[in-house]
Amino acid sequence: MKFLYSDTQDYVDPGYDFLNDRCRPGRERYWSDVYAHEFMDPAPYDGLLVSMSAVRQAAGVATSKVRYSTREEQRLLRDGARQFLRYGGPRFKDTMLLGDCGAFAYVEHPVPAYAPEEVVEFYTEAGFTHGISPDHIIFACDLTNPSEQAVDAATRQRFAITLANAEVFLGLVKREGMPFEPLGPVQGWSPKSMAEAAHRLERMGYRYLAIGGLVPLKVDAIKAVLTAIRERIRPETEIHLLGFAKADSIHEFTGFGITSFDSTSPLIRAFKDEKANYYREGSDGRLEYYTAIRIPQATENARLMQGIKRGQFSAEDLLLRERRALIEVRAYDRGASSAEATLDAVMDYHQFLLRGDGTGAAQQDKALRKTAALVQRTLKHQPWKECDCAVCRDIGVEVIIFRSSNRNKRRGMHNLSVYHRHLSKTIQGTA
Amino acid sequence: MTTYRFTAVRAQQAPGHDVFVFAAHPADVLSFAAIERVARTDDGQLKGFQRHQVASHIRDIRDYLTREDALLPNAVIIAFIEGVTVKDLSDGLVQVQIDVTQDSRPGFVVDGQQRLTALSGINKPEFQVFVSAVICKDYNELRQQFVLINNTRPLPKTLIYELLPNVEGLPERFTQRKFSARIVDMLNFTRGSSLHGEVRQHTNPTGMISDTAMQRLIMNSASDGAIRSLMRFDDREERAFQLVSEFFHAVARVYGSAWYGMAPRFSRLRHGAGIVAMGFVMDHLHSLEGAKERGQFEPGLRLLAPHTAWTSGQWPLEAWDTRPWNGIQNTPSDIDLLTRYLVSSLKKALRKPRRIANG
Ligand SMILES: [Zn+2]
Repeated sequence: MKFLYSDTQDYVDPGYDFLNDRCRPGRERYWSDVYAHEFMDPAPYDGLLVSMSAVRQAAGVATSKVRYSTREEQRLLRDGARQFLRYGGPRFKDTMLLGDCGAFAYVEHPVPAYAPEEVVEFYTEAGFTHGISPDHIIFACDLTNPSEQAVDAATRQRFAITLANAEVFLGLVKREGMPFEPLGPVQGWSPKSMAEAAHRLERMGYRYLAIGGLVPLKVDAIKAVLTAIRERIRPETEIHLLGFAKADSIHEFTGFGITSFDSTSPLIRAFKDEKANYYREGSDGRLEYYTAIRIPQATENARLMQGIKRGQFSAEDLLLRERRALIEVRAYDRGASSAEATLDAVMDYHQFLLRGDGTGAAQQDKALRKTAALVQRTLKHQPWKECDCAVCRDIGVEVIIFRSSNRNKRRGMHNLSVYHRHLSKTIQGTA
Repeated sequence: MTTYRFTAVRAQQAPGHDVFVFAAHPADVLSFAAIERVARTDDGQLKGFQRHQVASHIRDIRDYLTREDALLPNAVIIAFIEGVTVKDLSDGLVQVQIDVTQDSRPGFVVDGQQRLTALSGINKPEFQVFVSAVICKDYNELRQQFVLINNTRPLPKTLIYELLPNVEGLPERFTQRKFSARIVDMLNFTRGSSLHGEVRQHTNPTGMISDTAMQRLIMNSASDGAIRSLMRFDDREERAFQLVSEFFHAVARVYGSAWYGMAPRFSRLRHGAGIVAMGFVMDHLHSLEGAKERGQFEPGLRLLAPHTAWTSGQWPLEAWDTRPWNGIQNTPSDIDLLTRYLVSSLKKALRKPRRIANG
């Protein structure tokens, strides 16, 4: 089972100066930076997925901060995705480069943002090894399997568009001489309708299917979907799970003949999750999670800046506390400070992230106690000291500090590598 | 109570106002003067006046000041209402005494807060700054001084860009801009350049092509295109200039009537959007066809010509988006659309004759 990471221009400056929080002098974004597969050995994934919506602007495509600029899009098309992502050479020669349309970006639009012709051209020029036909997400998945007549017209239309596109798409890919392996996207409102879609795609000639719409589903619902699909398609037809958010429960999915799946969650959780920010392989073969220690930059954090602007906090005072928290955490790592003193300094600064949020003192005290307990556990176990991935070896305690993208993305890369190792073990364990 | 004493020079200015200047360590300045950032009290009254810290600005200043040879000749300005006594010495010199009590600092930073913050974060114990001090009769007068002192107009961007090539020791973020400003200078003022006298700059107000559009073209190419491959050479500037100049020689020859003497409002080729988008055509022809000289750019441009609508006709940008020739504006999304249309038309046109040639 291959694990693909969905690229969102996640690179870090290898020469970042953590003590002064500065990029290396002369650093050029992207050119001086490194991707996770350049930074870590072995690479923490088996392939990359690139969404067309992240690269190309179009009507109905939500704008996102990580979108490629025009000059980057043009270079990607000139040089090819592999060279752009620096994911070539003998080390990555057989890795999968999957293109999709990023249907989430145009989910509110009545039709997909890109026509099959445009998508085939894009995948071909960018040199993807695999490409998914432009689909249109159907969100609600009803496990009671309502009939086609029982669902609304918009859902039926999305179902029809996805299949009609797939037919045109496959014809074009064949006419171009199969420059990449085409994947047929499965969308439906129930396990049964998804199985029907899978069956029709197979009949069109697809040998590889991409199952969409799984993101909001619980583990049991996903299993119901996969069971229904597997019953309707040939055993040799390959399956990709699109945006598989349940990556942690992968051990429950080894029996469905899944060839590949993509997920961003190990990296994203490093800085988007409330508390599970740092992955560790637990002793019982499961993943364990730790809270990263939040010490944001006083004059760059939106929340703190608001407080400063309103006159609730003084910038100089916050800067002082921020510095004290950093000093304590680093001293603790060296064995020069106690866990208690470190926790005090961290929480003394952390309280300002909550104060002034309008929830009242009692509520805030409760939230602070919760955070303190989580931070205490992180400090006590010092998980960063046990990890020998390239990130933890290189920057030590900085990896656990929740602060600026160079730390947070590195922590995400660490998570990817822990996850990737965990996945290999899981697969071996069931083989 | 802490007392600071300085020997200062007094200037004769408005009657009834004491204005004087002295040298002090930044840490001392911050202990006798507060930075009162603008905010509201609980009952909605405005307090303070300073703007908020700009982290990137402080970083730039800090980067500069950590250098061994860093100088800071302009003074920070501190206003006092009380807590200061001034004694005359002689020859315009005065003895200044500042008393700081436990719970209040008598001075207010009126100008230079970012510099002081930057300095307070670096280890340079010997470094002194000039303090220019003024004594006001009350807080209102102090706030008035603040507005008057800070009411200077920033320099126009285009003048800054034109000055850039000749300024050394600038913050990192200026270097890209500086390189492209330098190439634009060469394009505009070198005899034989295809853009000789064509670019509008402060010192060339009759030029018709926007300098910022030309800079954008060069920055795009320097970061992701043809010029990037030239950056490793010592004479990178000369090479970049030649490449762009040769490209526009070819453009002028192929699109003559849409080029020569045309104002941007009559030809989209000379308009900001057209210039920036054509930069990508240049990068494409360089990268895929190896074009460097005008004669090598021309065939590709000729193939593209039937698909363009610089001065009349329509742009079929996408299946559902056809626009009149002048319906393209100088916005990032229009530049993006025009770029994609031009480059993909060019690619298709290049593909066709090859297919024929290959039989
Ligand atoms: Zn690690």
